[in-house]
Amino acid sequence: MIKKVLIANRGEIAVRIIRACREMGIETVAVYSQADREALHTKLADEAICIGPAPSEESYLSMERIISATVVTGADAIHPGFGFLSENSKFAELCQQCSITFIGPNSQVIAKLGNKQEARNTMAAAGVPVIPGSTEAIFDAQTGAEVARQIGYPVIVKAALGGGGKGMRTAYTEEEFEQSFQTAQTEAQKAFGDGTMYIEHFVQHPRHIEFQILADNFGNVIHLGERDCSIQRNHQKMIEESPSMALTEALREEMGQAAVRAAKAAGYMNAGTIEFLLEPSGKYYFMEMNTRIQVEHPVTEWVTGIDLVKEQIRIASGKKLSYRQEDVRLTGHAIECRINAENPKKNFRPSPGAVTDMYLPGGKGIRIDSAIYSGYTIPPYYDSMVAKLIVWAKNRREAISKMQSALGEVIIEGIDTNVDYQYEILNHPDYLSGNVDIEFIEKMQGDMV
Amino acid sequence: MKLDNVFKKTRLPKRRGQGAADTRGPEVPEGLLRKCNMCKEAIIAEDVKKGNYICPKCGGYFRMHAYRRIESVTDEDAFEEWDRGLSTKNPLQYKGYEEKLAALQERTGLDEAVITGKARIGGEETALAVCDGRFFMASMGEVVGEKITRAVERATAQRLPLIIFTCSGGARMQEGIVSLMQMAKTSAALKRHNDAGLLYITVLTDPTTGGVTASFAMLGDVILAEPNALIGFAGPRVIGQTIGQKLPKGFQRSEFLLEHGFIDAIVERPQMKEALSRLLKLHKGGKLQRQDTAAEARQTLKIPPELDKARAWDRVLASRQKGRPVGKDYIEALFTDFTELHGDRHFGDDQAIIGGIANFRGMPVTVIAQEKGRDTKENIQRNFGMPSPDGYRKALRLMKQAEKFHRPVICFVDTPGAFCGVEAEERGQGEAIARNLYEMSALQTPILSIVIGEGGSGGALAMATADEVWMLENSIYSILSPEGFASILWKDSSKAQEAAEVMKLTAGDLYALGIIERALSEPAELTAQNIQSVTQPLGKWMEEFLEKYGDMDGQELTQHRYDRFRKM
Repeated sequence: MIKKVLIANRGEIAVRIIRACREMGIETVAVYSQADREALHTKLADEAICIGPAPSEESYLSMERIISATVVTGADAIHPGFGFLSENSKFAELCQQCSITFIGPNSQVIAKLGNKQEARNTMAAAGVPVIPGSTEAIFDAQTGAEVARQIGYPVIVKAALGGGGKGMRTAYTEEEFEQSFQTAQTEAQKAFGDGTMYIEHFVQHPRHIEFQILADNFGNVIHLGERDCSIQRNHQKMIEESPSMALTEALREEMGQAAVRAAKAAGYMNAGTIEFLLEPSGKYYFMEMNTRIQVEHPVTEWVTGIDLVKEQIRIASGKKLSYRQEDVRLTGHAIECRINAENPKKNFRPSPGAVTDMYLPGGKGIRIDSAIYSGYTIPPYYDSMVAKLIVWAKNRREAISKMQSALGEVIIEGIDTNVDYQYEILNHPDYLSGNVDIEFIEKMQGDMV
Repeated sequence: MKLDNVFKKTRLPKRRGQGAADTRGPEVPEGLLRKCNMCKEAIIAEDVKKGNYICPKCGGYFRMHAYRRIESVTDEDAFEEWDRGLSTKNPLQYKGYEEKLAALQERTGLDEAVITGKARIGGEETALAVCDGRFFMASMGEVVGEKITRAVERATAQRLPLIIFTCSGGARMQEGIVSLMQMAKTSAALKRHNDAGLLYITVLTDPTTGGVTASFAMLGDVILAEPNALIGFAGPRVIGQTIGQKLPKGFQRSEFLLEHGFIDAIVERPQMKEALSRLLKLHKGGKLQRQDTAAEARQTLKIPPELDKARAWDRVLASRQKGRPVGKDYIEALFTDFTELHGDRHFGDDQAIIGGIANFRGMPVTVIAQEKGRDTKENIQRNFGMPSPDGYRKALRLMKQAEKFHRPVICFVDTPGAFCGVEAEERGQGEAIARNLYEMSALQTPILSIVIGEGGSGGALAMATADEVWMLENSIYSILSPEGFASILWKDSSKAQEAAEVMKLTAGDLYALGIIERALSEPAELTAQNIQSVTQPLGKWMEEFLEKYGDMDGQELTQHRYDRFRKM
């Protein structure tokens, strides 16, 4: 069994992991940058060790320093949290070379799933639906039209060297195709000096649905249901909930099984998440697999009653899963709002600085995962998320009421936050009726203008 | 609020060594991490190996073992080693020397401090020698001198180019005077290699000092260096102690030498193989591939009669117009693979003249341009295109190099005049210009000069003592600036406009006077964007020039050049 864990992270997730370890009787080592001397995780852990200056590259991303800190403090495991080195296969490999248990999958699995094409191939081979697309580069509209017909409309034409939306066009019908292809290709030629194109099925109005899985080192894999993370701005999730209104019991069963197949196909171990795009028609497609604990894991914890971080540590210690699939039941409804230090009125500009005063809500069905306290100064170097507010109630309507009420109680003085913005989302008729997709925020912003 | 010790901790950390002794703790296996001796950071050894032995943290260069170096710059399995196993006679019978040699041979697997052989780089065959600092700091004893000399001799016999990666503490003290003689021996062999018309490139790596700097290291036709390498004759510590002064920052580093004109370029390790391969290819020679021989395309390029219509003063203004293409623009538009070479090998690297080797439609040429710069910042950096003596000496060095390799020389002239200042006089501005006229008149390779902007006086002529001189429609070429002319003759520089009209400085006037061979028409406003309208016909005319003069032997060429000026 693991005796001492070094947490290679900061902020609320570091605090979350320290708490789990403490409850399990495991010693904790926090690492901190010079900007995080007063951070909560630094204060809360049994030991804390400074690993460098404020910039992440020289501290939280410095593999050598984190490994050295682990050796110096004699920790036998590293929990990477999320972000930073959590999905770095080289770091996982280094841990292994230094006889340190990396709490997560092994480096080969991380590397395989981190490679988009390889991940896609693995999933397709395991019978997990992937977005249909051209398998070879396309150079002219005629060949493209044929491929588009096979894939099925609508399609999106993408530049092989694309990025930033350049060289990208959708076509809803065969009539539109040639025009779209030519425009995209001309644009690609201009922007990247290369007219190599790919064609993919265009997934319309999808929801972001992800399945949490747990896998032990003995080949047992279970899923813990889904999270609906459709409320996102610029690919940054803002609100997550479980279960999703969009899934029937049958579809949940089907997608859950697909997720388990995906994890097995990848030879996965520890906690992971399979992300899907779900069309209104009920068709779903594999997007990617995240090989770490996720920000939004508390909603799953609440509807399943399973402590994911503790399970991660147990699995990494070589224990078998404590649950079988039939033990997993989704009860009630959980919602999470991410509280960020940012100003939505100024294009979500980060708002670091001193928290002069603060009050956070409590009571039945309210959970706060946070790393700030009154008098704490939020450093400008890292992610702007400072707290997560999670609620649980027996159904979605009640959970929303509880979240509305709880958001109303959040007081954080001295910095700007997105609390009011979250409150607006929670009162939006489309959100209330569950009529959302991943473009929700964009549309809402448009309405506000 | 201070949070220290407010939390009730459930456990207190154990001191190391207490408890937990039953389990194997984490440990870093031998060799997984290493410390960078420059930034002192812990780094992953594998990253260093895969990353050309450059510290991933600070970008500093580790010294490279000779065989690693050979692997990194040569084509796979293309190295054939020469003269392994030579041994020293221990000329001073220096006590303990042989034991130390044996111990080093045992530890490094090397027989001496240099590896020599034949290799292929980018498909091109070359002789190659690489010093290894682990062996007596790669000091040059008789074996090092002998191996290098033999390599040079073999390269000469087999007509191979030669590349030497230097790294050395200097002469090998244990071998005394015999070591000193290696400097002369290697240099003498290199002279023969040079006289055979063969290419020699040196790559100076950290550290290159003492007798090696003062012999084979500094004799390359092209001298490259790795960034931040210590390069010097006397060591910095010795100098510091001798003169009792603190040495300036960066003293004797590659960048310092580049600035002082002693090396052609600093090349980063990851680009080294490509740089060497390009240089080898450019020195292999190559035939001109004419792009378009259509007669009609060339016929449109007669001297346009409208050249005489505009006022001379308008030409003067146009030639100085901001936004007019500069030397670099022509180099980019007309040539490929331009490899800039820096320095006069005496004092400095003048930024007002750029030069190097490039490919013109399959044929290697030496290109030299007076460069004004494109914006104010560059104008200042390039001294508004007014060259210093070091600039003319760099140009001459590159022309002599072109002569050695039978490369034609293409010059772009664009200067208000040679730099007028105290430093320029101190270093002999007049001598430098005169020397160029003198040497260029008899250079055994074709020279073409094109005036693209201002052709200011002797400063322009020092790059225009050519077989042919061409001018762009809105360029000027004169004894001095119209302002200066008015000032000297009329004591009134404000009469520059009138001066311009009488000076005969336009392309049309000079063509009529027989000073230039060709004038090229321009669009209304020539810029870097529409430079094609000039470089397209220019390129075709250059093809014709190279064909015509390329066929002449040295004597014909110089006679023609002599006659050209003789009749003026």
